[in-house]
Amino acid sequence: MRVNWKFFAKRFGQMLLTLWIIATILFFIFRLMPGNPLVAYIDPTFTQEQQEILMRQFGLDKPLWQQYFVYLGNLLQGEFGDSFFYKDSVVDVVSKVLPNTLYLMLLSLVVAYVIGVLGGIVLAWRRGEKIETVGIVFTLFTRAAPQFWVGMILLAVFSFKLNWFPSGGSSPAGVVYSSELAKLLSPSFWHHLFLPALTLAIYLLGLPLLLMRSSMLDVLGEAYVDMAMMRGLSERRVMFKYAARNAALPVVTAMAVGVGYAVGGNVVVETVFSWPGLGRLLVKAVSASDYPLSQGAFILIAAVMVFMNFVADILYSLLDPRVSLDGRG
Amino acid sequence: MKTNWIGLVKSGLVGMYRFLKQDRFAMVGAIIYLLLILLAIFAPYIAPYDPHQMIREGGQLAYNRLPSAQFLLGTTNMGRDIFSQLVYGVRPALTVGFSAAFFVVILGTLVGLIAGYFRGWVDNILMRLADVVFGVPFEPFVIVLVGFLGPSVWNIVLAMALLLWRDTARVIRSQVLTVRERSFIEAARVSGASHLRIMFVYIAPNILPLSFLYGSLAIGWAILTEAAVSFLGFGDPDVISWGYMLHDAYVSQALSRGAFYWFVPPGVLIMLAVMAGFYIGRGSEEILHPRLKKV
Amino acid sequence: MISNKTLRSIVLVAFCLVSVLGTAVFAASDAERVIRPLYILTRPQASSPDEFESATLIANAMKEVGIDARVKVMPWEQMADLVWYERTKWDMTGWQMTARPERLDPDEFTYNLFHSSTAETGYNFVGYINPAYDKVAEQQRVTVDPQKRKELIMKAQQIIADDAVYDFLVHQKIGIVYNNQVFAPDSIKEMAGLGIKNFWTYIYATPVGAQKSMILNSNDTVQAVNPFYISGTVDSWVTELIWDRLMRMGIDGLPKPWAAESVKWIADDQVKVVLRKGMKWHDGKPVTAEDVKFSFEAPMTGEVPMYKPFVSIIDKIDIVNVNTLIFKLKKPWAAFETACLAKINIVPRHIWEPILKDLQQKPENAESYQEKVPVGSGPFKFGSWKFSEEIVLEANKSHFQAPKIEKWICRFIPNMEATLGMIQNGEINFLATYVGDPQLLEQKVKADPKLTMVSSVDLGYRFFAMNLRRPPFNDVAFRRAVLALTDRWLIVDAVWKGFAVPADSVVSPALEFWKNKNLNYPEGGVEEAKKLLKAAGYEWDRKGRLMYPKGKKEELAPAF
Repeated sequence: MRVNWKFFAKRFGQMLLTLWIIATILFFIFRLMPGNPLVAYIDPTFTQEQQEILMRQFGLDKPLWQQYFVYLGNLLQGEFGDSFFYKDSVVDVVSKVLPNTLYLMLLSLVVAYVIGVLGGIVLAWRRGEKIETVGIVFTLFTRAAPQFWVGMILLAVFSFKLNWFPSGGSSPAGVVYSSELAKLLSPSFWHHLFLPALTLAIYLLGLPLLLMRSSMLDVLGEAYVDMAMMRGLSERRVMFKYAARNAALPVVTAMAVGVGYAVGGNVVVETVFSWPGLGRLLVKAVSASDYPLSQGAFILIAAVMVFMNFVADILYSLLDPRVSLDGRG
Repeated sequence: MKTNWIGLVKSGLVGMYRFLKQDRFAMVGAIIYLLLILLAIFAPYIAPYDPHQMIREGGQLAYNRLPSAQFLLGTTNMGRDIFSQLVYGVRPALTVGFSAAFFVVILGTLVGLIAGYFRGWVDNILMRLADVVFGVPFEPFVIVLVGFLGPSVWNIVLAMALLLWRDTARVIRSQVLTVRERSFIEAARVSGASHLRIMFVYIAPNILPLSFLYGSLAIGWAILTEAAVSFLGFGDPDVISWGYMLHDAYVSQALSRGAFYWFVPPGVLIMLAVMAGFYIGRGSEEILHPRLKKV
Repeated sequence: MISNKTLRSIVLVAFCLVSVLGTAVFAASDAERVIRPLYILTRPQASSPDEFESATLIANAMKEVGIDARVKVMPWEQMADLVWYERTKWDMTGWQMTARPERLDPDEFTYNLFHSSTAETGYNFVGYINPAYDKVAEQQRVTVDPQKRKELIMKAQQIIADDAVYDFLVHQKIGIVYNNQVFAPDSIKEMAGLGIKNFWTYIYATPVGAQKSMILNSNDTVQAVNPFYISGTVDSWVTELIWDRLMRMGIDGLPKPWAAESVKWIADDQVKVVLRKGMKWHDGKPVTAEDVKFSFEAPMTGEVPMYKPFVSIIDKIDIVNVNTLIFKLKKPWAAFETACLAKINIVPRHIWEPILKDLQQKPENAESYQEKVPVGSGPFKFGSWKFSEEIVLEANKSHFQAPKIEKWICRFIPNMEATLGMIQNGEINFLATYVGDPQLLEQKVKADPKLTMVSSVDLGYRFFAMNLRRPPFNDVAFRRAVLALTDRWLIVDAVWKGFAVPADSVVSPALEFWKNKNLNYPEGGVEEAKKLLKAAGYEWDRKGRLMYPKGKKEELAPAF
């Protein structure tokens, strides 16, 4: 495995470019919102004097293009302003919930991709049998069911009926973890994480599963698989050693897309399971018309997503050195 | 001229039928769509009540009724007929689904066509733009847009149109890249056909099935998104959609009450509508990659 | 010579012309008289289904008399902002007054809500101006004799009903549920108008099993823990427990000395307060008379705007000795004990004095300051606050009235279905917030022997506020028609499923002593409303739309 530094640098540059454009779009969306453009930064309950101070701080007394550069400058320094609702800096508020969102997202992605890849292999191998039809129909079901609906049903069954899992939050009542690490090592945290992660994973596994299946079908048509079969290797060995390894590549790129769905799915799942994450915060911020917090939370969610896209691409390039920028898509 | 059109429609329908006949999945999907469309058209004749009406019996509000001959799926906690809501709910679902799909197909196909046909810097710019849009988190974007522009199904459609063209555009582009190398395109070029003509008369027919595939997936996404947005409380309060019904059932605690006749049907219909799109999509996949048939 | 026939045709044509023109002229003025679309603001169905459904019912009833009433959904924060800070820009809005201990005295509702002095920026957000009412409201304030004051309070309620200032809906029956296997039932205290979710329950609740913590729920998160900021609902539960007050509202609804050993009126406008000995701040320092003086004086500055109205009556505070103070009032105030001594949080001067001094140089005020670890002297200490998740308070064992429970934990659960599941499976043991279907809750409690529900008529009430600054709501006849259109019994039945009583006054039936039971409050539905409107000169155009009386026309653009 050789790291292609040129590719790495190109993709990194592209990531920054993407973030810059998203920030720019957001700037204009919030400025073009109906009503007073200043509302994007100014809490209407502020006094005249406070408003003027803030206007200067954010450069709102300047023309639009100057404001734009002030805004970019503030972003670069990690300055998102203060939340109207929590009367605290956006960065502080967001950083309190960001880790929880990442844990939920990563765990469900891993689960979804492990199950998805294995399931895809099985369905490809058993092509034409009854299990394939059943498997595909089931997978399409998981993809078509509204997540909150699935979440509510899981909650009703596993939490209220069977009492196996807690129904909300990230920790038992009154428990305080001394650090993020202590939180991650504590069984009760995982206990709380289980149902939301499962809900999200159910939603996410369709993509890798279907992709793995069709990628496997492609590979199975290749000559070397037939050769291996003819050499008398066991079916399972051929399936995993030859076919699956080669078929897995496109699934890795798809992970980038999967991250996108995971980020979106978080919003709903966090609300159903009272998970203290970024998605719920965004919903709260939007419904409270807390512009700075909405803007900050959105940019951060986008940043996570763009970064994960980047990681997936790099991973892909490591696995398959033939890939260059032009070879994608 | 006239007969020509009829002939065209006819051959189109026949082609569609042949395509559907080849794949059970696609056939099932098409039948589901057909039923839903019929339901939407004849909703006033099928639904016994106005979905907004709070039904009263002898001055008393008929709330939380169990399913019966009078109320096929019972009533909501505010005395509205659930079955009627379910029937009328198909309209916004299909409206959102089809209009979002329409924009996604048009935008995505245009971008893909232009990028793939002209290549070079045009391609580069359009595809980098698609990369950027891939970086925009979908559901949060919808929430921000709907939250600040106001709760309306059209804002949901707008958000989808703004974002979801990216998937279509990418796939269409790569398809165009192969199609444009075919000999009949070369022939058209040599005979002096304009760019527009080549793009829309010669290339477009070859990529349309792919566009429709993505369109049918977008229908599903749109319906699901509308449901999720409704669930989070940003839905259009004037429109009784399936998403709204689920939201209503959720805030009225249908689950705790064990009112599965309220909670399950809208979810099932959403799944059916979304799956119908997927089925058709999967059917076309087989057509588009005939190689798989051999395995 | 003009023939008869021609003459007739000329007359006919002229007549036609005149009538056409006339209709056109009349039509124009008619069109100007048609009342604009009126917008009724409400929170979304998700967060407040009852308000939303009530708004729909009222709008539908208004449509029946030809008023183009429209329901406008807004998140609470946005709505509150509009109603409170843009007082000329809305027509009608759903609103509620919540039960708070100091509201057990009718003064706050009687005075603050309707006195003309609070119309501009204060609680009189509907803009009710009536000098006759002002006089009654002022008088009840300075009348210390309860019987005489009672008459004034009765009169005030009558004026409000006659003038149709609020479109009342209901006093809810609050059903609070607790787990009787965790807490001894006789240790759960019910207060009239407040139910069992109150300070005394938190103090007295005695655990009987292994679970020593009270775990309760809220559908909202904590915004701030700040003794100088009145913010969210949960925030006020928390401040009440962390910070002591000189007096507390007792279980009987009357103020009782708390951090004060005694409170004595030495004149109509002078109160002598003796501070309890041996009290300590959570950081170990002693609580002194200086702290008390500081706590009441700080809100008089501009740094603590929300508490300012409660202390503005105070002329000065003298420290007599180490633990004795004398409050001198500008004039007598009947509700002083309830609305001031039992309201103001006593804060440590050594912590807040430097903070306030620093804030004077800044645009922010004390409301936006958040202590890392809030320090009070109350029966509970601040434990931890997990953002978007929970807040934990720990029992202050050295307090003069130490709680029986070890921890007070409030979980923030936005999902009402989940909340209902949690009280059943034991994840929470005190259901403090429930905005769902009360009937369902009752069923669940009946089916589960470990749960007990205590239902009490709420001190607070739900209503729709009309903006009296904006026509047609400036006309009492129009308002009375709206009130008559509001079928409160249907709303009790359909929206609250019987778990409420119709309201007709700011004073709850829970307050037997103060409630005026003979109010001339409008009712009678569409017919009565039409009668009232007709009598006041309102008319309907040909399409059945309601028009202002002759001579008036619509001067406002629709609010949205």
